[in-house]
Parts: sequence; structure tokens; C-alpha cells
Amino acid sequence: MLRLFLFFLIFSNFSLASEINLFTSRHYTSDVKLFEKFTHQTGIKVNVITGKSKVLEKRILEEGKNSKADILFLADAGALYSAQSKNLFTEIQSEKLKRKIPDSLRSKFWVGITKRSRIFFYNPSFLSQEEIRDISYEDLSDKKWYKAIAVRQSNNIYNQSLIASMLEHNGVQKTKKWLTEFVKNFARSPQGNDRAQILMVASGEAKLAIANSYYYALMLSGKKGIEQKKAAEKVLPIFPNQLNRGTHINISGAGILKFSKNKKNAEKFLEFLLTDEVQLDFCSNSFEHPIVNGIKVDSFLGKISNNFLEDTSINVSIYGKRQAEAFKLMKQAGWN
Amino acid sequence: MLNKYKPFSFLDRSVYIFSFIISFLILVPILGMILGNFGIEYKYFEFFSQNEFSGYTKNSLLIFFSVLLITFIIGTFSAYLVSFYEFPFVDFFKYSLLLSFAIPPYIFAYTLSGFFENYGTFYSILNYFFNEELTNNILPNIEPLFGSIISLSLTLFGYIFILTRSSFINQSRNLIEVGKNLGFTNFDIFFKIILPSARPAIVVGLSLVGMETLADFGTVSFFGISTFTTGIYNSWFIFDDLKTANFLSFLLLFFIFSLFTLESLSRKNLRFHNSLNSFRKKNEKITLKGTKKIMAFLFCFMIFFISFIFPLFQMIFWSFSFSNSINFQEVITLNLNSMKLIMLASTIIIFLSFFVNFGTRVLKSNFLTFFSNLSIAGYAIPGIVISVAIISFFSSLDNLLNLNVKSYFVGSLAGLIFGYVIRFYSISFNTIKTIYLKINKTIDDSALLLGFNKLKILKKIHLPLLKSNFIFAFILIAVEIIKELPITLILRPFNYETFSTKAFNMASNDLIEAASVPSLFIILWSSLLIILSIKFFLIDKK
Repeated sequence: MLRLFLFFLIFSNFSLASEINLFTSRHYTSDVKLFEKFTHQTGIKVNVITGKSKVLEKRILEEGKNSKADILFLADAGALYSAQSKNLFTEIQSEKLKRKIPDSLRSKFWVGITKRSRIFFYNPSFLSQEEIRDISYEDLSDKKWYKAIAVRQSNNIYNQSLIASMLEHNGVQKTKKWLTEFVKNFARSPQGNDRAQILMVASGEAKLAIANSYYYALMLSGKKGIEQKKAAEKVLPIFPNQLNRGTHINISGAGILKFSKNKKNAEKFLEFLLTDEVQLDFCSNSFEHPIVNGIKVDSFLGKISNNFLEDTSINVSIYGKRQAEAFKLMKQAGWN
Repeated sequence: MLNKYKPFSFLDRSVYIFSFIISFLILVPILGMILGNFGIEYKYFEFFSQNEFSGYTKNSLLIFFSVLLITFIIGTFSAYLVSFYEFPFVDFFKYSLLLSFAIPPYIFAYTLSGFFENYGTFYSILNYFFNEELTNNILPNIEPLFGSIISLSLTLFGYIFILTRSSFINQSRNLIEVGKNLGFTNFDIFFKIILPSARPAIVVGLSLVGMETLADFGTVSFFGISTFTTGIYNSWFIFDDLKTANFLSFLLLFFIFSLFTLESLSRKNLRFHNSLNSFRKKNEKITLKGTKKIMAFLFCFMIFFISFIFPLFQMIFWSFSFSNSINFQEVITLNLNSMKLIMLASTIIIFLSFFVNFGTRVLKSNFLTFFSNLSIAGYAIPGIVISVAIISFFSSLDNLLNLNVKSYFVGSLAGLIFGYVIRFYSISFNTIKTIYLKINKTIDDSALLLGFNKLKILKKIHLPLLKSNFIFAFILIAVEIIKELPITLILRPFNYETFSTKAFNMASNDLIEAASVPSLFIILWSSLLIILSIKFFLIDKK
């Protein structure tokens, strides 16, 4: 009888012990709610550690075979590439996962989970639509933008990824030349985050800001207060390079780790993140674009379209491969 | 000297060995990082030395010396005012100036910029009176370098204030009386007697401020200033070159050690003991009158207002405007987690650093003194580098002993506390050291002559004299632990949140406002600890 009881105790412990350990550099409270949803649906508990990507990477690397981590979920393709180059991941097996994600937004080892665009913002009372129509990243080196552009520092990974993509498209010489001219167009020495750049445009201190779309959505949503909402309402987004390769896209993505002890559950978890329902959740909470083919969301808060031409001609891994190279050129051009 | 009478007893040897082991254990992860993963890799170093070194170093030095100067002026002068003079609210300022500790430098930076930014708090206030364009024009632009220096100075001067003040409290009145009898002016007494006699405390305070300033990344990166620490981050995060990052950390360490070795050489022959009866002597204060009274009050009030009230109010304002970010259940868990960590870690840290201080004092071993001084290095290295050093330490230990120690320490409370010990040992060690320096060594010698053994000296003489001063160390450590981020982030158990990890999560999504609730708790806790210490350990009880 006692044995039977013990058996049940152990057995029930086992069923409770169905869990996955997630290492993530994303810090959204809304993500945690999604993980709870997953637990509710499948009975699999999600344990979370958050931190900076390189630190998480180093911990997994040092722990080696004993690592408890099952999934690494990182913001920015460059960070995923870095983890991949250290052989942290196992190959993605699930056909379901592969089918859902466009080729340019995944690798053999990880898949994109959400998508963000790095776009321009302008204030229509200072800049006519005529002046900015059909604009491209390449146009920003033009003299007409002299001291008119707000952008954050060169050590920001979003900027490095953008420049890495330009290196891939336009080559080193052209990008180098472009950077030299572009830097002259800065409205001030780069500082602050993406939102600070949008505010510069709202107040008229700069004509054009470069920022990720979700910062703008965050301000519009009112989560940053009424003044910021009003400021954002003065500003309009514009998607660059619509006439050629499309707008620069980056991802948050995840892969299953080589020494994971729960690979099946981990796969289930990734599949869950790519269901239509969860993709829509990402849209409405963190204001990222849905990544799964075929999901249509009209716009964020009526202002940011989800239907624009994206640059799918290069794989996002390139951002990681050419990150250091891009940074060097940015610094040498005088981008602080 | 006197320990010649009992050459190396069993007790001596045990104290020696334990002191050595403690210092060694604390130093080893840092040493391990330097030796094991050390070097210059082509990937980043060449680029750094050609393009970044001079500019980054210039910024670092500029910030470093400005912060030292400002904290020195604010810290010593306010400590001097509240220790020796009577003016309105002096009893209040005595303790409330400590509250600036509760604000992490980067949070101060956020509030400074959040207040003055376009469409920020100050904008909302001004906008009641002026139109939008005018308002945005009136708003002062925070110059990034100025912003960094102010944020660091106003949040760190507390080190100098608390240490200098504890030194002033034990100040021997005789000296000041002698000065007066010699016809010195107050000005002369301050510069020629009071400051020099508090020199060890001031230097220790400055060294803590200096180390934290050099290791800072949050504040300077927020303002977009590139410093030496930026180089460490770039090396690792952009070039994937941890070796150069470690090398640069080592340079930081080297710089700070050279600086303070120079200082200690320059005071080699000076001693800073109190006369024996000064412990009991009542500290009579001079009552200020007229303009001086108002000036003293205004000085303290300004410092208190800008360093504490300003960020506090900005955060309270944010908490009310954005109040749906945290729930009650969570707040309780966070409180329990923080309390547990503080109690466990600070007890261990204080015990260890006290023991080593005792060991180096009674054994008079140059080697041990040197070694224990080295072991405080952890504070000058950016927390993020230390956090990795600790992980690497455990995995080398595993490889060496063929064990699996890692799983017990990485991702557990034990590991977290170990991390805190390495990081904050210097604070406790230095604080206890300054007070120890003030206990006259002749007391030890007399006790030895009376036949006390060294452990008895510890128990019967040192401990009673130091006991109430442990609270200084405790406050400093506790507040640091509540604020600590990089080590907590990477070494904590799954799903284990503290106020700082919570605040970080919010802040890194650009929701500083939502971070204000956990940040307020950091302030609340720190203030509570400070107030408790006043109640139970009234430091200048008459």
C-alpha cells in the first residue's frame, strides 16, 4: 500500500515536473502572460530567466551538457546568429515551424517569432508629404537633410543591423561613402533611445527620425502618458524603400538548445508561439508585426500599417555576420 | 612587535589561514577571469586602440575626477556641518542625507532626463502657462556629460558623507580644542585639523565612489557618453571578443589600484588613532546664527532636495500616472525575496570582512594585508563582467575537480549570495577598516600584556567597539544588494524576481514609468533600514 502510494507520489511529481526552461532577452510582462497561457493549455510549466543576450549565451556555453536551459529566445537576429555560431542550438526539426516562417527570417537552428521594422518618422507640419514620398535609406545621405536627422548611437544593435543590411545590398565602398555623408546630417550628437528621436521630430528639432515602429506605437497607446501620446499624434511613420527592395526587417527569434532535456516540449512551445492567436497577442501587446505567413492585421492603432513591402531578399543572419564590420564603419564615419 | 611574545601560536595560524582563505576565495574568480580568459584579441583591440581609446579614456577620466571632486565637496562639507554645528533641522539632515543612497545612478539619470525631456514632466508643468512651442524652447537641454556627472555625484556622495561622518563622530574633541587655543579660525580648523584627521575615511569613501563611477555603464550609456566601460561592452557585445573585454577590465582595476596605492604611500607615516577618552567625550556642537545658519540650512536642504526629493517625487508621479504595472501578491513576494537576500548576504559579508580585518590587524603580516587589500577588487569591475567571471569560476572548478558544483551555484540562492560577497566585500571590508584604523593599536598591545589572547581581544575589545558601526556596513551592503542587477539577473533561480530585476524589465522596454513602482520599493526599503538604524543604533548617542 505504501509502495503504491509512493509510486503515485513519484508519478504525480513526474507529471508536475513537465516543464521547460526558457532563457530570454525579451522583457515584456505580456510575454509572461503568454507563457501562462501555454501552461494552461498544455500543463507544461515555463520557467524563465531574463538577461542580456551575451550573458545568457555565456552561461549556456559554460554550463555545457549540464545546462538546464531548453530554449533561447532573443531579440535581434544578430544575437541569434552569435548564439548559433557557438553551436548552442540543435537543428529545427518541426516541419510545421519551417512552413510557417519565410526563409529569410529563419535559419537551420532558429525561427523568427516576431518581426519589427526600422522606419522613418516625420512631422507633417514641418515636412510635406511630397518631400518624403518614396524615400529610401540611401536617400538620407542627401545634402537636403543637412542637420535634420535624429538617430541613436552606433553601439545600438538595431542601427548595426540596419547598416549590416546596407553593406550586404550596396557593398563596402558605397556604404562607407554613404555613412560619411549621412553623419553630417545628424541634428545632434546621437543620444537617447528610439522614442527620444521621435520626440525630436514632434517638437521640430529634427525633420526626420529613425526608429523601430513599436516605440511609436507605445507612445500612441497612451502607456507613456497623455503628453507623449499627443506628441506621437503629431508624427507620421513612413516605410522606406517601398519602390525597390523593401523596408529593413529584424526579428525576435528562438531556437532549441543542443543540450535541452525537453526537446519535444520545447518544440511544442515554439509552435504555440506561432499560432495565429499568440501572434495577434504579440501585435496588440508589444506592437510587433506578425511573422507567420498569411496573418493579416490591418494596422496598429490606426497609424502603422502592417501591409508594406519588406526586404526579404537577404537572410536576417547577415546582420550578425556583418555586425562588427558595420560598427567599425559607423565609428570611422564619426557616428558616436 | 608585541606578538613576538607568542610566536605563531595555533590560534594565530588558524586566524591567518582563515583570513587567507576568505581573501583568496573572493579574489579567485576575478583573478581567474583575468588569467584564464585574458589577452588581446585582434578582433577588437586594434580597432579600439586606434579609434576609441583616446576619446573613451578622456571621457572616463573627466567623469571620474569630476565626480570625485563633487562628491568630496558635498560629502565632507555636509558631514562637517551636521557633525559640528547646530542649525535648523540638523537632526533631520544628519540622517536624511543618507537617503540619496537609495537612488541608483541610472534611475537618477532617467528621472533627470524624464523630467526635462520634450513632452516630459517639466513640460507638462510649463505647458499650463505657455504654448507648446515656447515650452519646448524654455526646457533646458541636459548636456550629456553634465547629466552623467550630476547623476553619479548626487547618488554616490553618500559614501563620503556616511564614512566621514562616522569618523567625525569619533573625532577627538581635543584636537579641535587645541586648534581653538592656538587661535585658528573655523576655516583653518576645518582644513588643517578636521579634514586631515578624517583622511582615511574620506579616501575610502572616494575609492568606493571612484570604483563605482568607473564601473558604471547604465548612466553613461543612457546619456550616450562613451567611456572606457563602453569599450568593454563593445568588445563583448559587438565584436564577441570577451578576451579584450577582460583585458580592459583589468586596466580599470590597475588604474584604481595605482591611484589608491599612491595615496596610501603618501600617508605612510601618518597615524589616525583617537585618544582613548575621545570615545566617551561628549561632542558639543556650535550653534550657528544669522546668515551662517540660513546658509548651512540651505546647503543641506538643496542637496537633500536634488538628490532625494526630486527623483522620489518624479517616481511617485509616475507611479500614480501609470499605476497598473504591479499587483499586490507580487509586491509581497518581491519584499520577501529582497529581505531574504539582504539578511543572508550581508550577515555573511560582514562576518567575513570583519574576520579578515581582525586577522590583518592582530597578525601584522604584510603579505596578508597586501592580499586582503587586493581582494576588494570586485567593486571596480562592471557587474556584468563579474557575473560572467563567477560562472566561469564554477565551471573551471568543475573541470578541475571533476565535479558538478555549477548546478548548485549557478541559478541558485547560494550562487547569488556568493556573487554578492565577491561584489560587495569591498564595501564592508573598507567600512570596517576605517573604523578599525581609528581604534588605537595600543589598546591591543595593552590587552596582550594583560594576558588576553587574540580571540579574546576580538570578543572583549574590538567587537564592542565596532558593533554599532557594523550598521554602517549593513546599510551600505543592504542598499547595494537591493539595487544590484547584473549578478542577480544571471545567477538567480528560475522565476526569482527582485525589485531591481523587475525595474530592469520595465525600464528595458522603455517603460521607465512602470519601473517606478519597484524603484519606489527600493527607496522605501533603503529608507526603512536607515531609519531603523537611527532608532536602534543611534550613532552619536550622547
